[in-house]
Amino acid sequence: MSSLIGFLSLVFAIGINFYLILSRYIFKFQKQKFNFFIRFSSLLTLLSFFSLMYAYVVSDFSNYNVFQNSHSNKPLIYKISGTWGNHEGSMLLWLCILSVFSFFFSFTKNIDRNFQRLTLIIQSFLHILFGLFIVFTSNPFLVNSILVNEGLGLNPILQDPGLAVHPPILYAGYVGYSIVFSIAIAGLFQNTDGEWLYVAKKWSLISWTFLTGGIALGSYWAYYELGWGGWWFWDPVENISLMPWIAGLALVHSLMMVRGEQAIKKWIVFLSILCFSLSVFGTFLVRSGILTSVHSFAADASRGIFILLIFFIITGFGFLVFLLKEPKKSIALNLLFINKVSALVINNILMIIATLTILLGTIYPIIIEVLYNKRISVGGPYFNATVIPIMIPGFLLMSIAPILSWQTNKIQNSKKYVLGFIVLSILVLIQSYFLDFNTWGFVGLLLGFWIILASIIAIFSSYKVKFSIKFIQIINPHIAHIGVGIAIVGITCSSVFQNELDFNLIEGDKFKVNGKTVLFEKIETTNQINFQALRGKFLFDIEKNKLKEIEVGKNYYPVSKMITSEAGILHQWNKDIYFILGDQKNNEWFVKVLINPFVSFIWFGVIIMMYSGFIAVSRR
Amino acid sequence: MSLRFQRLLLIILTLIIILSAVLLILYNTRENISYFYTPSEIIKSDITINKLVRIGGFVENDSFNKISSSSFNFRITDQKASILVSYNGILPDLFREGQGAVIEGSFDNNDVFNATNVFAKHDENYMPASIKESLKDTGYWNKKYK
Repeated sequence: MSSLIGFLSLVFAIGINFYLILSRYIFKFQKQKFNFFIRFSSLLTLLSFFSLMYAYVVSDFSNYNVFQNSHSNKPLIYKISGTWGNHEGSMLLWLCILSVFSFFFSFTKNIDRNFQRLTLIIQSFLHILFGLFIVFTSNPFLVNSILVNEGLGLNPILQDPGLAVHPPILYAGYVGYSIVFSIAIAGLFQNTDGEWLYVAKKWSLISWTFLTGGIALGSYWAYYELGWGGWWFWDPVENISLMPWIAGLALVHSLMMVRGEQAIKKWIVFLSILCFSLSVFGTFLVRSGILTSVHSFAADASRGIFILLIFFIITGFGFLVFLLKEPKKSIALNLLFINKVSALVINNILMIIATLTILLGTIYPIIIEVLYNKRISVGGPYFNATVIPIMIPGFLLMSIAPILSWQTNKIQNSKKYVLGFIVLSILVLIQSYFLDFNTWGFVGLLLGFWIILASIIAIFSSYKVKFSIKFIQIINPHIAHIGVGIAIVGITCSSVFQNELDFNLIEGDKFKVNGKTVLFEKIETTNQINFQALRGKFLFDIEKNKLKEIEVGKNYYPVSKMITSEAGILHQWNKDIYFILGDQKNNEWFVKVLINPFVSFIWFGVIIMMYSGFIAVSRR
Repeated sequence: MSLRFQRLLLIILTLIIILSAVLLILYNTRENISYFYTPSEIIKSDITINKLVRIGGFVENDSFNKISSSSFNFRITDQKASILVSYNGILPDLFREGQGAVIEGSFDNNDVFNATNVFAKHDENYMPASIKESLKDTGYWNKKYK
């Protein structure tokens, strides 16, 4: 029953969007109730999504999708998250978020009515494309042809609180760019002056903030769940989420130039189209199964072709409109050797080159296979050796960019910065002399701390410190950059100064980690609701009274006959001690211990970036 | 500095950035990629010792040998040829005899493949797309595989 309601409301919502486009352009109705229909179709799409969720919650196995991906003895949270833990459901989530964005956009005040409607019409067009895709290739409401009492279960690796919320947040970022795309296209058609750029800025900030959160959650999940001790693997799926993120960052920064009254509309429109194209392209690559990755769901050729078609329609349409209707009145940029505009231009160039480098590395295996019929893999070493050096000048630039002037090439208080930089270099040099010297470590630490220091100097020397909302908004760009600096310090330390220790242990053994004694207490197996758990228990720092217990092991899920690793992590503010349980022979267990310094700084830096994203949205 | 000179400087800077990015990419696509082989392909190829490659296939039945809790021997096969692999570390959860796996590493002097990484995907029916074709050729393709 719920499946029927879901399917009907899905189709009805698509129908409304058809009607909106037809009534506007074929029958030329003057719609009084335009916004009403947009909101109604959004609510219908939501209803459709929630009826699928309901089918999951009550374990309605007459729905084929529920039967394939759920099981009645799963905890409730994973029944809910199972809704988007599969291809069909996740596409419905995608559509749902798209219409939710339209819903909120229809409430935007202070913009031209016609402009708003045109934007929403383009959203309707996107809604129809993805809606038809769901109905024809990935319908989550198919009826199960056989009568069953039990489902096949959700992939155990997805049964994790972090991963339960990761897809909706990531999708909010991806799909948020659809609004930015529609705004840009509508702006091109109507050729209104500047006004739409402010609207675009708000929405691109919202999308970027969600995307940041989604990516961070994904890597945090990979860090503690996949049990490799790292948090970023340059996996294709990670790369394709990183591309719209960097392009979106470039977009947010170019939109700043609107405030300097030098609108470079062309570039902004180009970036807006690029961001959404990259989001759709990413979905295509993951769903089509062309790229294999831990995250890819079962591949189905017809879906791949359909998404490829949608990708070409959206990208082709976007760039065609861009070429035909490009903004005429472009004011020349006020470029000086080092002022804010030129810093922003260089930053944009660097970000686009970085995006292209990642794109190239991600699709290079496909190109080689088609051209030479050879199979290759491009992994971490390639990306580390290309993307990082390309980004470094950008990081240097961002430390001073916010305090550069729009009009002249003078830097205020330049002596303070020079002094600060010299002192900092000496400090980092001394520090790295005492630890084992490492070029990348030195560069990363210097960059990270320099960005933090320069931003702090800028805040204290350029503004009067007050505790008001206005002050928080003014210093917001600096705060965002401090977040980046903190994240860079975390990334550098955890990757360059990671320490690995291997042990072969029997129960009751004591061993030293970082000078602290650890006791390998016992190994035990227990039965949980839907899995069996094998756990090794370790007591950390047994010489002190404040004992810390670490549990590490594996889970066996009988429904899907799968094993997952559960890393044991002891979080401290300055380091994570990361335990991985290996195999055993003659009761001797292999235990790997990784010491990851300053990992928490990465997440802390990301939280600061997201905070600034939200503050920037609130700013007018 | 005149305005024109400043712009020239900016353009030159941009060109330098783009040029160095292209050089970086070209250099790294030569150095930092690893080629992918099936066991029968790698036997035929003239691969040098210590060159990093990936091999994809099945873990041969009855070939898995646990030397200690962290060091293992096994053979990887595509039903036409098989390669002896030695690995130190923690094997992935889904590593099993008869299952698909991709290993990364290089040959040593004694024709033993020293794996630095072993990948087994997180799905029991998963088969690396890259060895799908050669399996279909040899007739060992099982419809269950994705």
